[in-house]
Amino acid sequence: MSVSRDDFSIVFRSALLQRGATQKFSIFSLIIVALIVFFLDVYGFAIVKTARSFINDVVYRVTYLASAPTRLFPGINKGITGHFNLKKENEELRQVIERYKALDLNLEYISNENKNLKKVLDTEDVQSVSNVVLAKVLVDRNSPFLKSIIINKGSKEGIIKGMPVTQNKYLVGRIVETNYLSSRVLLLNDLNSRIPVTFDEKSTQAILTGGGTRKPTLSYLPENYQFVEGITVFASGKDGIFSAGTPIGKTRESGEVDLFIDPNQLSFVTVNLIKPSKEVF
Amino acid sequence: MSKSNILNKLFASGPLFLLYYLSISEIDSNLEKLFEIFSLNLQIIIIYFWIIKRPNLMGTGHIFLAGLINDVVMGFPLGISSLSYLVICFVGNYVRNKSVNTTIASDWFTFLIALSLANLLFFSLLNNFSDITISYAKIGYNTFFTLFLFPVFWLLFNLYQMSFIGSQDA
Repeated sequence: MSVSRDDFSIVFRSALLQRGATQKFSIFSLIIVALIVFFLDVYGFAIVKTARSFINDVVYRVTYLASAPTRLFPGINKGITGHFNLKKENEELRQVIERYKALDLNLEYISNENKNLKKVLDTEDVQSVSNVVLAKVLVDRNSPFLKSIIINKGSKEGIIKGMPVTQNKYLVGRIVETNYLSSRVLLLNDLNSRIPVTFDEKSTQAILTGGGTRKPTLSYLPENYQFVEGITVFASGKDGIFSAGTPIGKTRESGEVDLFIDPNQLSFVTVNLIKPSKEVF
Repeated sequence: MSKSNILNKLFASGPLFLLYYLSISEIDSNLEKLFEIFSLNLQIIIIYFWIIKRPNLMGTGHIFLAGLINDVVMGFPLGISSLSYLVICFVGNYVRNKSVNTTIASDWFTFLIALSLANLLFFSLLNNFSDITISYAKIGYNTFFTLFLFPVFWLLFNLYQMSFIGSQDA
């Protein structure tokens, strides 16, 4: 019996402490290092934060380069398909040009009218244009646990945690991590995402809850609320983070929301440089 | 250095290269569009197989670094993936030291233990020391598919080993 216990302890120690020609570090020492790194990161020491920010910037760019082949193959496939559809597309484009020509005739008149109306209203051009940063999606690795993307703009551009991110004025998510040259955006369908929303004629208030699936759901609704399909859901802005009235998606009878933006098809997004009135995680 | 020597070295570093590439690239094993619940932790399978079969090809320092890179890309607290990978290494080392000969069935069974320990550590740390909320259903699916597909990758890696590296196990 004692022999078997000795045997166990020898094998156990050997597995934990063994080093060799290629195994330069023992597993035990690396576990200790990993634990130190983990707790330094979790408890947010300033040095680790700065180091992490730098590592993030470097790794995200390397990830973007390393993922180039995976982006290239669908592109080639698309190119071939596009080539075969060229004739049909050409005819469609001709029709579109004809329509645009017709529209162009009205453009000058409308532009002049617009200028005159602006004078009447005594308004400036939309100020928020300068408060917007266009960013490219560097990485959209689809983790089973976290639904987030990484964009190529960071604190250098004035991005801070909590800022809303949109695409074509539709809400995409919010910034949860900023580095000097990159940021992480938490998508609406992530399990950690909770957004106050409003919808329908009665301005019903609810919370849009991500479930880690493709479609987030509406929760905290009035009792016995009956869902009607196809009603547009807007951000209510009650959290002081998202602008009120930003469109998000359309309701389904099941209580899920069909997002206007497919979280898996993002290439460019817009970060609205609105300072959140509350601190977010 | 002869041409065959360079080729041998290249083939031998294949598993490590794959581990780094999976950690750093956008390639994910979460085929959400095809099958919503499907996700797989291929890195763990790679580490376990090669630690058991050819530990000299999979340095623990590299595994630690791949874990750190994975944390950065996935947005997890630094060091958490490294810890779970090192637990896999530890169980792999233990099984290798303890057994004379391994089969696909014995490796599959011991992989269950390694995977359970690694995931237990990973999700307990994430749950207790981080703000990130994770779905337990997703963890279950991920663990199930990783375990379920282990024999498939075992056969593939075994084929790779026999074809390009040599059939001699550690």
